[in-house]
Amino acid sequence: MTAPVAASGDAALEPGNFAAAGPLSVPRLPGEVRITRLANGLTLCHLENRLAPVVTCALTYRVGCRDEAPGQGGIAHFLEHMMFKGAKTYGPGEIDRRTQALGGVNNAFTSHDLTTYYFNFAPDRWSEALAIEADRMADLALDPVEVDAERQVILEELSMYLSDPWDVLNQDVRDELFGPHPYGRRVLGPREDLLATGSEELAAFHRRYYNPANAVLVVAGDVGEEVAEQVAEHFGALPGHELPPRPEGAPRPGPRGLRRVERRHGEVARLMLALPAPAATHPDHAPLMLLESLLVSGRASRLTRRLVEEEQLCSWLTADLSENRDPGLFSVVAELVPGADPARVEAEIFDELKRLETTPPDAEEMARARRIAVADWIFGHEQVYRQAVRLGFAVALFDPEHSQRQLARLLATEAEQVPDLAARYLSPETDSVVGWSLPVEEAGAGSCGTGDEADSETDDEGGAA
Amino acid sequence: MSAPVSPSLVAPAPSAAAEATPYDFERPGLALRVRRVPGLPLVSVRAMLAGGARRERVPGQAYLTGRMLSEGTRRRSWDRLALDTEARGMLMSASAGFEVLGAALDALSDDWAAALEWTAELLFEPSFDEERCTWVRRQIAAELDSAGDQPEVRAGWAFMEQLYAPHPRGRRLQGSQDTLLTLAPGDCAAFHRESMGRRRIVTVTGDIDEAAVRRLAEHLFAPEEGLPQPAAEALPAPAAAEARRELRLPGSHQAHLYMGHLTVDRRHPDFPALELAGVILGAGSGFTGRIPNRIREREGLAYHSFVQAVTGAGMDRGRLVAYVGTSPATADQAERAVREELSRLLEEGVTEEELTDARSFLLGREPFYRETARQWADLLANAEFYGLPLESLEQRRMDIEAVDRERLLEAARRHLKPDELRVTLGLPEEGSAEEGAAEEGAADG
Repeated sequence: MTAPVAASGDAALEPGNFAAAGPLSVPRLPGEVRITRLANGLTLCHLENRLAPVVTCALTYRVGCRDEAPGQGGIAHFLEHMMFKGAKTYGPGEIDRRTQALGGVNNAFTSHDLTTYYFNFAPDRWSEALAIEADRMADLALDPVEVDAERQVILEELSMYLSDPWDVLNQDVRDELFGPHPYGRRVLGPREDLLATGSEELAAFHRRYYNPANAVLVVAGDVGEEVAEQVAEHFGALPGHELPPRPEGAPRPGPRGLRRVERRHGEVARLMLALPAPAATHPDHAPLMLLESLLVSGRASRLTRRLVEEEQLCSWLTADLSENRDPGLFSVVAELVPGADPARVEAEIFDELKRLETTPPDAEEMARARRIAVADWIFGHEQVYRQAVRLGFAVALFDPEHSQRQLARLLATEAEQVPDLAARYLSPETDSVVGWSLPVEEAGAGSCGTGDEADSETDDEGGAA
Repeated sequence: MSAPVSPSLVAPAPSAAAEATPYDFERPGLALRVRRVPGLPLVSVRAMLAGGARRERVPGQAYLTGRMLSEGTRRRSWDRLALDTEARGMLMSASAGFEVLGAALDALSDDWAAALEWTAELLFEPSFDEERCTWVRRQIAAELDSAGDQPEVRAGWAFMEQLYAPHPRGRRLQGSQDTLLTLAPGDCAAFHRESMGRRRIVTVTGDIDEAAVRRLAEHLFAPEEGLPQPAAEALPAPAAAEARRELRLPGSHQAHLYMGHLTVDRRHPDFPALELAGVILGAGSGFTGRIPNRIREREGLAYHSFVQAVTGAGMDRGRLVAYVGTSPATADQAERAVREELSRLLEEGVTEEELTDARSFLLGREPFYRETARQWADLLANAEFYGLPLESLEQRRMDIEAVDRERLLEAARRHLKPDELRVTLGLPEEGSAEEGAAEEGAADG
């Protein structure tokens, strides 16, 4: 089940109760991965995992909102919606009806880099997912009446996100951090672009990007080698055309110091600190994942312990290192308890980031961060669905070994590297955006960080457990 | 697409006056379920005591007590617990719902014994430290504020109160800012002591040796002699007196429409028939249900819409709920659509195709609830708590396939009442930019 780590990171897992935790290694996914490429360029990843009677079919296109032309913001996501609105064989609503009739579930999601569609089915009926995907890849209808109706649905989706304080703050911060780079775009697009996007634009976008050579198909779960033949039967005759290499996004300007964005919403103060981070292929990316773990993984981690558990300024706090094709962002987000001083929270977070430079982690801290990273990796790959989506993501953007290689690199990162990494990537004064969403009632109290101010229906569903 | 129904598997139809058999959810004793789940090297432990928020004296008491289980024990402080569990990559949590409170640990399977021992320590030896209690109370109050910043959550709270009050289900699990202020460590200790006299349920699943796990778990979780079982006091019945509520939601760009009423509890014989009715109305895959299909796919009124017929069903009755997030300008149209589709189901029934697809949908999802150790641990805990063979795929198939069109229609007519729908409508603040923008958006469609 596991393969030893070639790197030297394990040596730290020795003293005290850590010895009881056993040796640390990079886990492997259960089952076997086979990767082939059809003549038309479609990449097929077959992950045979017979542990549960389930199959996930996930099709990822190498297209996202980063690929949108000016004036067509939101078209990648719009097209994702339209992929459920009728093709030659499966008419409007038919995909959902067949999915239900077959006892499955389906969904899709669009990001800046990729668009993914998936089906979860039982092993005796999963192959209809192939028929559906081939049909809408080859012959999407894009009926103007359906396009108009779906545009209205997306405008409602936009309204929904505009009501969410985190979504709005996140977008404000991304705008400021990424500037003209496409990672600053809103996936849903601006309202005016949505209103100007019709069937013709959607069809052109579909023609360009939705072809076998630009897609990665993952079939994972309780299904054998017959997969290759079934995929060839459905997709083999579709024409593929290679796309030119995706252009890099507009280069990020050099360090611009600390910038601020601020808005007012609701009753709770919310912070999002964003710092530029390297692309996921950069050698520093995995080591930075270790720093993320040191800062926020678990209650004993540095930021959580200080700001949540000891100083009790934030009800919760977390961090995230984006995993992008181009350089992305490292973010720290927090919600404050009523009465906590936003300026103090900000200062303490900055101080804790600085402390990574001055006080490297000891052996115990390193061992804990590594152990949590391994456990998180395993918990994150428990379900076949997750295995499939993660594999599709890795193959579409990087390579099949990406996820395990990143974990191995994280485990190989030494404590001595931490100060230098923190100095280069986690210095807010050098280049960052500090975004605050402050309570409405505090309007007029001055802005933050200047040093002069301070089951519902969502509750309990799911039974007793 | 579903298999033909075998007559021998068809359960008898419930009578028109069908009611759940009386069942003592809270009787004392240990219920232990252990199951090996091959796959990744993980173990999941769930340990809970019956009697959650529905048994509390002060709103929020059970939830605070549950959260305090991971804030320190008689042997270890909160940070020692954190250091010890995180050193092994364990995920530790503790909380309470309306029916139980308890602790959970997910760990790498080599650590199964420590996971069991530490879960028992959390459940049976909490210290209810005063300083930590003050902090957790503040934390919960902040979480309430945060949830209240989500307009649909605020509307959902109003809807729950409208349906259930004065029953405890009508209030928030976390209590309120006011009630939280009144709670002290002694209240947690008292609630915990009382809960110790009720049933305890422990499930352990994963890549484990079942016999070894069972031996240790029986030793760790066996009830002490002479624990008094607290009296099961009757709860106030839901009144649902108010037919319609409207509230203004600061910061909202949409109208949030909730419609529904109470239906049946988890053990009610009509539960499977209503589950199927819920799928046909809108709980199925994508937007196939009659209501989301009309509201989103045909009329383009909403991005988010769902219907459930038995959501929240447990010891107490669950509810029919239809939700639509839409423009204020189209909220009336959405409400009308929900009423009409509900009435149409009761008048016309469902087609054989709809029923076949709904059965297939419910049965097709079952393997996905049994994939991981964590899912198995939760499933077995629910099965044990409700006294239902939820882990049995065969029983599930029998229950679902026993529902034919007639039985579904009878159950729907018994329990779904368009004339008794309660409506909560949350709207953007009057005259706000949000309201204007939302109306403008609707006009464009």
